[in-house]
Amino acid sequence: MRFSPHSKFRTVLAAAGVAVLAAGLVGCSGSSGGGDGGSATKGTVTWWSWTPDNNVADAEIAAFNEKYPDIKVNYRKVPIDNYAALLRPALASNDGPDVFSVNATGSFSAKTFAAYAVDLTPDIKKLLGDDWKSKVFDGGTQAFTIDGRLVGAQFAKVGAGLMWINKSTFDKYKLQPPKTYDEWVSVCKTFRSKGLGCFREGMAGSAGFVVDTMHSIVDSVEPGLWAKALVGKAKWNSPGFVKSFEILRKMQDDGILDKGSTGIMQYPDVNNAFLTGKVPMVQMGTWYAQYSVKKNLAAAVEGAGGSSSGDSVVELPIPFPDVAGAGNPSTVFSDVDAGHAVNAKSKNRNAAITFALWMGHTTEGQQAVVNGLDSVATLKGVQPDFDKIELVAPDVQRPELEKLATSLDGKLDPRYGTTLAAETSQAIIDASQAMVSSDKSAQDVADGLQSVADSQG
Amino acid sequence: MTTSATTNAAGVATERSSRRRGGLARPTGIPWILPALVVSVGVLYYCIGYTGYLSTLKWDGASPLQLQVGLENYARMFRDPIFWRALGNTALFYVVTFAVQVALGIVLACLLHSRLYLKTLYKVLIFVPVVLAPATTAPVFRQIYAPTGTLNTVLEGIGLGGLAQPWFSNGTFALFIIISVQIWQSTGVVFILYFAAIGQISPEVIEAARIDGAGDIRIITSIIWPSVRGTTIAIAILSAIGSLKTFDIPFLITSGGPTYATEFLGTRIYRISVQYSDVGLGAAFSIVLLLLAIGTAVLIQVGSRTREEKAGV
Amino acid sequence: MFETRRLRSRIGLQILLTVLVVPFVFPLYAMVQGSLEGLGWGNYATVLSLPVLPKFFINSALISAAVIVIVMFCTMTAAFGFSKLHIRFKEVYFWLLLICLTLPGVVLIAPLFATVTRVGAYNTLWAVIIPVAALQIPFTTLLARNFVDGIPSELIEAARVDGASIVRVFWDILLPLSRPIMAAVLVLVFINSWNEFLLALLFLQTPDQQTITLVPSFFVGQYNNDQTKVLAAAVLTGLPVVIAYVFLQRFFERGLAAGALK
Repeated sequence: MRFSPHSKFRTVLAAAGVAVLAAGLVGCSGSSGGGDGGSATKGTVTWWSWTPDNNVADAEIAAFNEKYPDIKVNYRKVPIDNYAALLRPALASNDGPDVFSVNATGSFSAKTFAAYAVDLTPDIKKLLGDDWKSKVFDGGTQAFTIDGRLVGAQFAKVGAGLMWINKSTFDKYKLQPPKTYDEWVSVCKTFRSKGLGCFREGMAGSAGFVVDTMHSIVDSVEPGLWAKALVGKAKWNSPGFVKSFEILRKMQDDGILDKGSTGIMQYPDVNNAFLTGKVPMVQMGTWYAQYSVKKNLAAAVEGAGGSSSGDSVVELPIPFPDVAGAGNPSTVFSDVDAGHAVNAKSKNRNAAITFALWMGHTTEGQQAVVNGLDSVATLKGVQPDFDKIELVAPDVQRPELEKLATSLDGKLDPRYGTTLAAETSQAIIDASQAMVSSDKSAQDVADGLQSVADSQG
Repeated sequence: MTTSATTNAAGVATERSSRRRGGLARPTGIPWILPALVVSVGVLYYCIGYTGYLSTLKWDGASPLQLQVGLENYARMFRDPIFWRALGNTALFYVVTFAVQVALGIVLACLLHSRLYLKTLYKVLIFVPVVLAPATTAPVFRQIYAPTGTLNTVLEGIGLGGLAQPWFSNGTFALFIIISVQIWQSTGVVFILYFAAIGQISPEVIEAARIDGAGDIRIITSIIWPSVRGTTIAIAILSAIGSLKTFDIPFLITSGGPTYATEFLGTRIYRISVQYSDVGLGAAFSIVLLLLAIGTAVLIQVGSRTREEKAGV
Repeated sequence: MFETRRLRSRIGLQILLTVLVVPFVFPLYAMVQGSLEGLGWGNYATVLSLPVLPKFFINSALISAAVIVIVMFCTMTAAFGFSKLHIRFKEVYFWLLLICLTLPGVVLIAPLFATVTRVGAYNTLWAVIIPVAALQIPFTTLLARNFVDGIPSELIEAARVDGASIVRVFWDILLPLSRPIMAAVLVLVFINSWNEFLLALLFLQTPDQQTITLVPSFFVGQYNNDQTKVLAAAVLTGLPVVIAYVFLQRFFERGLAAGALK
């Protein structure tokens, strides 16, 4: 075989050109809708989310299949850091998930992906009646209504503003949970003298746990200020915030907050330290109740590399201590945690809607969601079924957890609301890091935060 | 890189002979390089072009709404203090990783060309970090430097408990940890390139120097170092590009923190385009990263050639 | 190389080498040790009992195989073309290719989003294979060209004079002589395609298509993190590339020795 160079070259070039053209053409013919959406009680539904964990999801899907045995649900849990990046191409393609969970704010909010989701209002009306709005969490309805369309069916609520303590450690040294700043200082002194940490928090990365801690401090300094700042009615560098940042620094200086928070992450570092008994206090939200369940705790302790007996950690929620000393009561703040959006291009749209609404808008579905104790119901009147849940220390834990389950019922301040931009959230984290790891004045730090918030318009 | 790559004796000869006889009896090589050009240049230049287009948009990556903003994203990027910080981190990262890797690489390569025991085992151990994905090794490094991690435990064990600290919470330490992980991860490549290059120095030259009374260090500095100059320049270029591209290690180990002490252009791009859903701004960063990488590569190449001419080599 | 005729200096050098290598080994040791905490070998049992594991393994193998075939074909033909054939503006094309060396994977994400979904490659292995191959070719071509430069052109001239076609020359002369560099390319490409994480995560949707590097994320949740199993999964994921490298180590070295960047 001998090359006749020029003609050969042209042929290959032409072939390449055709290939490129063809690729372009395929592109233009894409993205037709999903037909009539198929049967509402039969089919396969793919569900993507960053929450819950696989074992919890399996239990929820099993409960769903008791009622709808012919709908097969395939769950894919995606690491939270990558979730938005993953959804974009998936939803732009015709092979995206049928159901994808969204949250209220940030990179995978209902607003970001609203264009790909169907309006669920008619179906919810069919299920709960015209007064459906009064039966579910109002914050969720607001967060998921985009331009008059309800693009997400809420199924889980989350609250924060609490501290969790390891009761076993407190009992061992005969200590009471602190209520004031001074009590907190003295409790920590004892723990430290025993070689333990005290209140540990992970501020590294972009996870916003310290945002909740700052929120609690601000509520102690000036109730309502945080909620105002969220909607732009107060400045992030107003005196209340400056004072709160100073308190955060003081907490570290006075030995309440463990040193080194900017170098560790809440998960896995702080969580593992708590589960292995090295740290008696952490700031976590309502989701942390899951480790009161015996089998969850055993699995988690084992994952933390501890001995698998697991009975040594008896966790209890306590109110955030009155760090400002102004006598303001500790608060709990709450947002919708997640809702199901149904992909408008899904070929199994109707089965997908059945599943999406079952989880958040039926009693069985909500019962399945809350029984893992990691989420709080968004459908009013659903509580965890404590008779069926085996707790680590039922006598002390059950009354507190029952209280916790109802604590989110009233009208509460939002946690992030629907307006906290990812940039601002990161700026709050950066500001907190600066307070515990540099000498910058609280005023400068707060000014920096406000300037980021300003640039978000 | 090309020229320095072909300045070995054989290469020069080939070039000359092909120039002398070239074109006459030889068919064109275009069809032969076409597959590579189509797959690589085709896909990647398309991506570069598309990124250039995206960099003129205000777009969240998902919504149908795309707004033309011209060069606004570039202006925003140059106003971003973290951009400059990331560049500074990259520069320090490059200087340190390059210097340490070259020193380690040459010493290890010389040692493994000597008559020692278990050489294959050592070679494999040095290279294994190269073959492991950063995604799989990152958790280990988090564990080693954690407050109750291996390093602090060891320090306490040997009576230096006073030095123990939460390493990642100090920006300088965090950056040097990232640098050390990079060195751990890629010294294997540098080593193996030097190992190959040193293998081609004729043993007689070294023997002769030894008979003249040169010691080990003298041999490294006056015989080996000049002979592996081409390899060193190639490594300089590759690791400059690698430094600018740095993403996995800081992303997985420190997420760029604390307070951006380990932020690099790669992590900045990911943060902006995924976490902040600002795809246009992320694309502007990408384009600038690309230009910087090309610029640096050309600069090192040209710089090394000028020095070569001055030295009269 | 170094003076090893006296026993003392030989022992000294052996100790120096060992000290220098310890930091390379220590993280590997920590990795294995961490994977054995808690449940011990039970961590491995848990990972291995994931029903999706065999499928993920096969997908990773398929992707690696396809990338290797594509890269090997493009690299060897290009190395031959660039080194031994007449091409006008040869160095321009070569620089076009080398510029691609500077492209980080993270830059590709946004454009690939759009393209992959538009051409219908989303959730097919091709969505990973093509970009990964495209990213490898510049470096492997650089290596292979240097290697082929070292093969005397006279061998090729002689065969041509004897009437062999260019394809014959490539197949019968060039490829057999290039085995060492092909082994080096094979190892490099296998490592990089097996370890590919980001593109696989983004463009492969169903468990039928996903790859082995996604296994550790099964044990990381929003509100928990099973560190011991993450490490066990990491060790298992890393084993195939380590084994491949150990087996091909000798060829790999020989290839680089002849083709290395000089």
